[in-house]
Amino acid sequence: MTLRAPVAISGIGRTAYTRKSGRTTLAQAVEACRGALDDAGFSPDDVGGMITFQVQDSVRPMTVAHALGIDDLSWSADLNGGGNLVATCVSSAAAAVRDGLCEAALVYRSLNGRSGKRLGMAAEGIEVDGDFQFDAPHGYIVPPMWFAMWARRHQAVYGSTSEDLGAIAINQRAHALRNPHAIAREPLTLDDYLAGRWVFEPFRVYDCTYEVDGAVAILVTSEQMARSARTDPVWLAGAADGHSGVGWNNWEDLTRMYGSVAGPRLWKRTGLSPADMDFACLYDCFTYTVMASTADFGFCEKGEEGDFFREGRGTYGGDVVINPHGGLLSEGYIHGLNHHYEAVQQLRHAAGERQVSDAELGLVSSGGGPAGGAVIYSREEPR
Amino acid sequence: MSATEADSSGFAPPRPIPDPDSQGFWEASARGELVIRRCQECGYWHQPPREHCRRCGGPTAFEPVSGHGLLHSFIVVHQRAIPGLHDQVPYAIGLVELAEQPGLRITGRVLTDDPSSLEVDSPVTATFAPIPGTEWQAPCFEVASGDAG
Repeated sequence: MTLRAPVAISGIGRTAYTRKSGRTTLAQAVEACRGALDDAGFSPDDVGGMITFQVQDSVRPMTVAHALGIDDLSWSADLNGGGNLVATCVSSAAAAVRDGLCEAALVYRSLNGRSGKRLGMAAEGIEVDGDFQFDAPHGYIVPPMWFAMWARRHQAVYGSTSEDLGAIAINQRAHALRNPHAIAREPLTLDDYLAGRWVFEPFRVYDCTYEVDGAVAILVTSEQMARSARTDPVWLAGAADGHSGVGWNNWEDLTRMYGSVAGPRLWKRTGLSPADMDFACLYDCFTYTVMASTADFGFCEKGEEGDFFREGRGTYGGDVVINPHGGLLSEGYIHGLNHHYEAVQQLRHAAGERQVSDAELGLVSSGGGPAGGAVIYSREEPR
Repeated sequence: MSATEADSSGFAPPRPIPDPDSQGFWEASARGELVIRRCQECGYWHQPPREHCRRCGGPTAFEPVSGHGLLHSFIVVHQRAIPGLHDQVPYAIGLVELAEQPGLRITGRVLTDDPSSLEVDSPVTATFAPIPGTEWQAPCFEVASGDAG
């Protein structure tokens, strides 16, 4: 099913990305939301809906709305979880707009991901319940370990290498050099990559996202509001999720992720194909997430991911520009909502030095392992 | 139990919180026995434990398993990311597929002095190590000896 009534992104906003914001997640969320409204030429009074996702490290929509001067929301949701939920937030906001629950909805993510709660580290002296209790004694409870475990399996099955993972980090860093908002803008060579310290082998430090503090907001609007905004609308052409509760240990094939389910679902719903995409902002908490997603979403075959990036198929002049902003690996970890900000900039043809020429369609994926989703944005209104 | 639960970080390692579905696993661990919940109707094994079978809805009960399996994948932890385990690095964590059923997997420390010698799909055997500050033990794995490896 395609998304029936047209829904667009009419505004985008963000804070600076820093290693130590010295600000609350509330203050940063408000700045990003105001930025998205200013961008579109709307006021807080125009917003009826708001949604975010968080892992008890951020601020709730009602609080942000109140701080923006909005007395009440006609629709809001506060999802509990990680990067797998970004696409869900956007498609849920679109559904709320389409169903008339609100005319405009802000999607935001605000975190002090470096100076506050760091997702790659455990808290002190903790006790662990639920399915992770069995992984607690040896500390197998932080995401980089799980993704590294999956990456090792890919290496055993397909013969992929450190150099293949490095090719992904290098590709994205090269893109970030043209992005003034990116936090990591030093050139990265294969020698640099291989000299990086091990964190969770087979991951080196350059395989991991660059944690930052900051916030991003995007404004999802009805067609009518999109027409009255001062920005050119960027249309939502389709969305699909694939969320499995099987967990990190029992997912059958660790060389694939949720995209092997959500990808085909998305192409079927939209009638589009990987070859139609001018760029793809692939969720990249780790290099291996990109490796798996590049094949899962159909941009290359399993096992040829390393060559795909080495041969330039994932950059300007190739098949599809993967993460033109540098991604979470180099622009910074705003938990995947910054991918949507970048997609809108690309489709407005406002991405400056890193503009993907004649960009018409872009995929944005979110998540890793067994759960996630993706959306497609379009410069042309979908018919 | 141990008077020195904390490591140089000043904290004990993460501890499990048993629940009604998992209690039997930890009680058996104290006896050095590896048990997994199994459907009493269709025989399907469930880890993490479930009260009822996700396939047929039948009741499950803990049954012993062999402790034999294959090293489906592994990582080597270098980063001091887990308070209570800072002094252990570098150490290996394995994802082990148990012999009883395809896809039936648990994680645990792989006991080796040389993590670089580990290979995916090597045969491994379960053993146990105490969990500081608890009466329970955590499954760990040793690479199976002999020519099987």
